[in-house]
Amino acid sequence: MPAQTVIEKLTPLVGPEKAALVDYAATGCHVRVEAQPEQMPAVAAAMLAQKFFLESLTALDLQESFEVVYHFASYDELCRTVVHVPLPVGTEVPTLSTIYPGADWFEREVFEMFGIIFSGHPNLKNLILPDDADFHPLLKDFVASS
Amino acid sequence: MMLEKGLEEKTFYLNLGPQHPSTHGVLRIVLEMDGEFIVTADPVIGYGHRAHEKMAELRTYQQYLPNMGRVDYLHALAYNQCYCMAVEKLAGIVVPERAEFIRVITSELNRISSHLLWFGAYLLDLGAFTPFLYCFDDREQILDLLDRLTGSRLTYCFYRFGGVPVDLDDDFIAGCRAFIQRLRSRWDDYDNLVTKNVIFIHRTRDVGILPPDLALRYGVTGPTLRGSGIPYDIRKSEPFSVYPLFDFEIPTGERGDVMDRYLVRLREMEQSLRIIEQALDKLPAGPIMAEKVPKRLKPPEGEVYTAVETARGEFGIYLVSKGDVKPYRVKLRVPCFSNLSVLPELIKDTMVADAVAILGSIDLVIPEIDR
Repeated sequence: MPAQTVIEKLTPLVGPEKAALVDYAATGCHVRVEAQPEQMPAVAAAMLAQKFFLESLTALDLQESFEVVYHFASYDELCRTVVHVPLPVGTEVPTLSTIYPGADWFEREVFEMFGIIFSGHPNLKNLILPDDADFHPLLKDFVASS
Repeated sequence: MMLEKGLEEKTFYLNLGPQHPSTHGVLRIVLEMDGEFIVTADPVIGYGHRAHEKMAELRTYQQYLPNMGRVDYLHALAYNQCYCMAVEKLAGIVVPERAEFIRVITSELNRISSHLLWFGAYLLDLGAFTPFLYCFDDREQILDLLDRLTGSRLTYCFYRFGGVPVDLDDDFIAGCRAFIQRLRSRWDDYDNLVTKNVIFIHRTRDVGILPPDLALRYGVTGPTLRGSGIPYDIRKSEPFSVYPLFDFEIPTGERGDVMDRYLVRLREMEQSLRIIEQALDKLPAGPIMAEKVPKRLKPPEGEVYTAVETARGEFGIYLVSKGDVKPYRVKLRVPCFSNLSVLPELIKDTMVADAVAILGSIDLVIPEIDR
């Protein structure tokens, strides 16, 4: 069962009980992992070694803190893995763009939309917003005009 | 064509877009050129950013439905479906079987219309005008059918939480069957006009090869991925709706070049016809809407990820609810975002004319990338 293998591979990296099976019918994911920012490069390398691709990378503004959310999926077997990384305001998370070049754009988008810094990113500048935009529209306290 | 280090002064920059017919939308690619050859390519996106994700947080679940037809306007119904699936999963709404069948039939028709538009527009990029007239003639039949049912020709907003609002009638079913017959009779024309055309073959064979391991690192999905021989299609890999009831194949390529991506899309249209045909045959009787779907929807706290296969690849919605009438966060995972990010690797060291052929073969819808 691929989900079990993912948990076995990730548990040494993120610590016991941080990677667990979740109800696929309710959440659309098979495995849920909670990781610390500095553990992410190792987690991503382990996912790539198991032939997972980075499906999505986004963030949640929980107002007192952030959470960076990674989804991994596989071309071969159905096993979606979601990794939640809690991130206190003002802290950074290492980039994955050296492991998954596809993460480059995802991280730039999260950077401009939330102001989260991905340390080690080779080209961390606005992607979708204008180059001189210095606001972060997906923050909860950003008020959209209209 | 190798360029020695330190020769940057010999290169110049060329803007492909943002107003260029072959970018099919407002996409700009900054090309660093050494004569006719591309040294580096840097896509610039965001010209069509409408903040769909922010809008989700400001609207109720129902109010956000029409946005879905405007993210990828060419396969709007798949986006409708993914969002409905996400909300239904979160709120625990069960969709009646007949409604699922109607969703599959209309979504597959929409997929064919999207592929037909790509087919015509792509050949126009390569300089062939006639195929465009053929495909638009065929595509018009689909637009008429869907227009009758949904009320719109392009930016559909047809599915509802819990089902569909309008039932299929006999005229639609008869029109659908006639269309299947008509399109099947056209495959020979398409092959003779395009697939066997020697100029077309020379423009596309062994051009823009995407190796599977590169696709994996960039998270490429859809026909662009399947051209490289990986049979990853959400309809089979992560079955949703009633797709498991139907017999269909996932066409794949062997070399991963532009030609293979073309062939995958062409064969996929026939598979979609097969799905529609079987769905019409097996169409069950029954209700088309779930009972007692509240007008003011307030899904419980939680998060969900749903994915569907659109004409361009995997579209996923990551939806977070805090138990409010508005979503807390909606992340739209759009296929072309990842598919475009691999482009610089594909067009490195090619000529501009090939770059246009490769760019078109990814089948980009720019407003979908920008959201």
